[in-house]
Amino acid sequence: MRRGPLQINNPLDRRGFLQHAGGGLGAIALASLLQSDGLLHAAAHANPPRPLAPQPSHRVARARRVIYLFMHGGPSHVDLFDPKPELVRHAGEPLPDSVGAVMTRRKVAHNPLLAPVMPFRPRGNSGLEISDFLPHLAELADELCVLRGCHGDSVNHPQSVYQMNTGSILMGRPSLGSWVSYGLGTQNDSLPAFVVLPDPGGGLKGGPSAWGNGYLPATFQGTTFRSGAAPVVDLAPQSAIGAGQQAGMLDYLRSMNHRHSIERGSASQLQARIEAYELAFRMQSAAPAAVDLSDETPETMALYGIGEKDTDEFGRRCLLARRLAERGVRFVQLYSGDTNGWDAHNDVAQNHGLYCRRTDKPIAGLLTDLRRRGLLDDTLVIWGGEFGRMPMSEQGKGRDHNPWGYSVWLAGAKVRGGFAHGATDPFGLRAAEGKVHVHDLHATILHLLGLDHESLTYLHNGRDERLTDVAGRVVTEVLA
Amino acid sequence: MSRPRILLGVMVLAVAIFLTANRPAPAAEPAGEGPVERPISTEERDHWSYRPLIAVDVPAAGVEGRVSHPVDCFLRAAIDKKGIEPLPRAGRAVLLRRVTFDLTGLPPKPEEIREFLDDDKPDAYEALVDRLLASSAYGERWAQHWLDVARFAETDGFEHDLVRPNAWRYRDWVIDALNRDLPFDEFARQQIAGDLLYPGDPQAAVATGFLLCGPDMPDLNLQEERRHVVLNEMTATVGSVFLAMQMGCAQCHDHKYDPIRQHDFYRLRAFFEPADIFRDHPVPSAAELAARQTAEAAVDPAFKLAEERRRELEATGRNQFRDKNPDVQPAIKELLAELSADERADHADLVKRLKSAPKLPALPLGRVLSEGKPHAAHLYLRGDFRQLGPGVEAGVPRVLLTSSTLTGDSDEPPRARLARWLTSPDNPLTARVIVNRLWQWHFGAALSTNPSDFGVMGVEPSHPELLDWLARRFMADGWSLKKMHRLLVTSEAYCAASTPRDREWTAAQTEAGKRAWQRLQTIDPANRLLWHRQPLRLDGEAIRDAILAVGDRLSPRRGGPGIRPPLPPEVTATLLKDQWSVSGDEEDHRRRGIYLFVRRNLRFPIFDVFDRPDTNASCAVRHESTTALQSLTLLNSEFSLRAARQLAGAVVRSHPGHPRAQIEAAYLRAFGRPSTADEVRAAEEFLDSQSKRVRAQSREAIELALPEGVASDDPSALAALVDLCLTLFNANEFIYLD
Repeated sequence: MRRGPLQINNPLDRRGFLQHAGGGLGAIALASLLQSDGLLHAAAHANPPRPLAPQPSHRVARARRVIYLFMHGGPSHVDLFDPKPELVRHAGEPLPDSVGAVMTRRKVAHNPLLAPVMPFRPRGNSGLEISDFLPHLAELADELCVLRGCHGDSVNHPQSVYQMNTGSILMGRPSLGSWVSYGLGTQNDSLPAFVVLPDPGGGLKGGPSAWGNGYLPATFQGTTFRSGAAPVVDLAPQSAIGAGQQAGMLDYLRSMNHRHSIERGSASQLQARIEAYELAFRMQSAAPAAVDLSDETPETMALYGIGEKDTDEFGRRCLLARRLAERGVRFVQLYSGDTNGWDAHNDVAQNHGLYCRRTDKPIAGLLTDLRRRGLLDDTLVIWGGEFGRMPMSEQGKGRDHNPWGYSVWLAGAKVRGGFAHGATDPFGLRAAEGKVHVHDLHATILHLLGLDHESLTYLHNGRDERLTDVAGRVVTEVLA
Repeated sequence: MSRPRILLGVMVLAVAIFLTANRPAPAAEPAGEGPVERPISTEERDHWSYRPLIAVDVPAAGVEGRVSHPVDCFLRAAIDKKGIEPLPRAGRAVLLRRVTFDLTGLPPKPEEIREFLDDDKPDAYEALVDRLLASSAYGERWAQHWLDVARFAETDGFEHDLVRPNAWRYRDWVIDALNRDLPFDEFARQQIAGDLLYPGDPQAAVATGFLLCGPDMPDLNLQEERRHVVLNEMTATVGSVFLAMQMGCAQCHDHKYDPIRQHDFYRLRAFFEPADIFRDHPVPSAAELAARQTAEAAVDPAFKLAEERRRELEATGRNQFRDKNPDVQPAIKELLAELSADERADHADLVKRLKSAPKLPALPLGRVLSEGKPHAAHLYLRGDFRQLGPGVEAGVPRVLLTSSTLTGDSDEPPRARLARWLTSPDNPLTARVIVNRLWQWHFGAALSTNPSDFGVMGVEPSHPELLDWLARRFMADGWSLKKMHRLLVTSEAYCAASTPRDREWTAAQTEAGKRAWQRLQTIDPANRLLWHRQPLRLDGEAIRDAILAVGDRLSPRRGGPGIRPPLPPEVTATLLKDQWSVSGDEEDHRRRGIYLFVRRNLRFPIFDVFDRPDTNASCAVRHESTTALQSLTLLNSEFSLRAARQLAGAVVRSHPGHPRAQIEAAYLRAFGRPSTADEVRAAEEFLDSQSKRVRAQSREAIELALPEGVASDDPSALAALVDLCLTLFNANEFIYLD
């Protein structure tokens, strides 16, 4: 049985405090070392806790940061990244009996098959096939590493949103971004480590738990940013309070807190709180600067489709993602799609037509921009939804949810570009070869960040919890 | 436990393998292939938490009998061994603020501070404790501790996060039970089986809401899976909350470290298997029920038939609609569209006829458990609801079985017997677990620091004899929570200083305190021996309530459905439409935090940044993070500014024209102590320089930041006073309790 320092759960205990505040593995290792040496007390004072201090990774990292493009609602792999000639050939027929029983959300198992709505073509030097839904991204085919054998466990939206974000179909586990912040800390001292850019349409199925910290300390939860001058709630003082006025208050507060802290033996948690105000103050100028696009050139803005009707909104968020990544934010997650989003039950052509128009150019612009700035080599870009869609039709032209087989793509971080790993069965129904369960995907993402998914643990209720539970295999095939 | 007693235990075990429910269980399906149940070994049984409570005497009263409080006698025994002296008692102002926040979650009022500081009676502190425990604010504070472990929320979570319109009754039940000091054994029993133990008592039924507080996904594709998930969650929660056993770890396989086999998990679940869990049930008082029955008797039977037929038709339409659109709750129009033309006409006719039916008084509904049909209980292989394992019968964890476990009224349903067993003297855990939690809520850290995991992965108690003594004393005192609170907060350990100095100490005391602090910091820096009081950070609820209270703005209204104060649009933007409809009455927005609506998909922002748990699982210990977002919330939110204007208004009104007295009053209200001359001087300097900065602002802006309810002849000075109040809310001294 393991008896490590993590068992100390008293939040005000110095060891416990160091563990909570120091957060990452480095601090845990340090706490353990110090505890055995009996030096903890001195160290707790010497190092005021910095919850988000950069932490060493387990191994050499290929990626230093992540931009995760989450296509909410479930984009159709068979219409975008997974060409299925058999589906064209057997369109209009039901699935053959040999496929066996299929669990679906809306009883579509016996509906006729629906051919891909748009034709596929080989692209780039690699010949990776991408459909005509995505003309801009298609030009960057050689950057993409498509995982065609992805699969998950639930036909329901919220459960799958949770699983893709937290590894579990249940609500309330820590999200991928939280785990990464916990494991690696942040690279900047004026912005959060994990920033989420929700779709302005709102209504993510599953809600903010998708970027929650679960049982990890709140320090590691995703902070939502929106476009505009005030990206974070309460970032700026109320309009009645001038900047000079606030500076006056902060000076007064600092002297008051300083005296209070000295009288209490300069306890580390009091020091930490004084530092939090310094960070808040820095964030007040850093965050608006990060979201202020006025220093971008017209050419860059155009690259993202900013200024065009369909692409302006998502383009701005993609550009914002690059700016945050540049400023050292460890994990940026963008959502595309309101409550319904990519959930094309009625009409794939109409739904995906709209969402591809909105996102294709901005995403291609983001990849291009990251590449030309030299950021793509150590930035991992992830694209995917909570699941894919069924090869069978629904209501004639739509498709139902399909967690049994779908595509996710990776780019950057020196993954194999112009490459497709794995495959679904001939109809695109189930992952068949090179299967990548959500746990495997997570293990791979952590691996690219230099983290070992089996070592990144947090003791909770007597169990060393992991993002990947008791599973997960690094998909080494994607490593270039 | 002595060896012969262990032997006896093992022998008893060999006879009584597990508690058998006397009610005939429905014939179990043929036992499927399942894991072989490993016996519980003697070593496993000998783990500290499963042993019977030991009867210990209070140790001799510290060094030369200088302490008399039993809690201190236990603590001093360990401290004395090190040859050290704990920090002296904190000054009165510190004690008053500490115990008032602890017992009521609120700051002391200015008049209470003056009164207590002037009270020279030797039992002034004890009298204060009694007054606080008798106030209704006590239940409103301590209910939140319990609601944390009960993972209480008023919505389902998941995609639709639907409102549970009757969930608040359970919250009110907890507040009320605490305020009337319902003995904890009864408190526990009613939450497990109040409906069965007190049939016809609506409040006892409401208590079972505890079991149903967890998240749920009503529109899950397979209702069988939904029920499986909810029952497993319920079982795991009962195990961790009452027994500090992580039963949940055993739903897929045997617990990796603890003597909890997968069979134990599903035997515990079997107690809940017959429960009817997916609909609210009427919880009328006797008077409400009688009124309803009288009214019903007077109704023409034709109306009853019409009503039945109408419901039948709507159910048909709903089922047909949901077959096609499982994601959507059909509107009445949509479900009618599913019916045939004849049926629709029939329905319209019925609705018309029923318009003239007399209105029956509606019975209040509760989110409560009710016993449904007997239901075969099984083990599920790997925890998968599709993989039925062997049948099991209701039984308590075997590691806790003793010879008398099987006694009890044989006619009782299993769940009622579980409730009785949980609080019986045979089970050492329930009392140990709750006194350990009480200790944590008073002292900041529990004696065993994993309060919901007393297994081998947990930490053994720092003072095991004290823990057992407290547990026995608690039971001997009739499981009275208030008596235990009083015992703990009157100990010297609780009243000790948390800091190396105290404003009320004499010069000699200060010198002694400093020396003790330096010495003790090197001997026991982690304070395992409890030689000083741990400073505590207020939680988000206490911070918000205190900010309202110090400006006299906290509403005294109590009870009822959760309140939704206005939120910034960017916060509600992440929700589905209409998920945060603001409560109509402004005064309600200023009620205590315990009455605010608990939405799983949106933690109330100020609570969220200050580490309120997410309600998706029982939370035994809140995190304490320190983040920049907390600072931004307290510094910049509209709520803070508004409250600062109210506090400034209150002190100006009470001391018009006396800036110095206003400063002193603001300090007294915010920090619960008189200010020093130095502090007043610093504040005056701040007001002076700050009013100059204010003058740089436009007139309109200044208008928006003036004290409320005060006429202004010198706006910039008054606006600076608001800034002073806002700064006080942000001070460490406001957020931390010494």
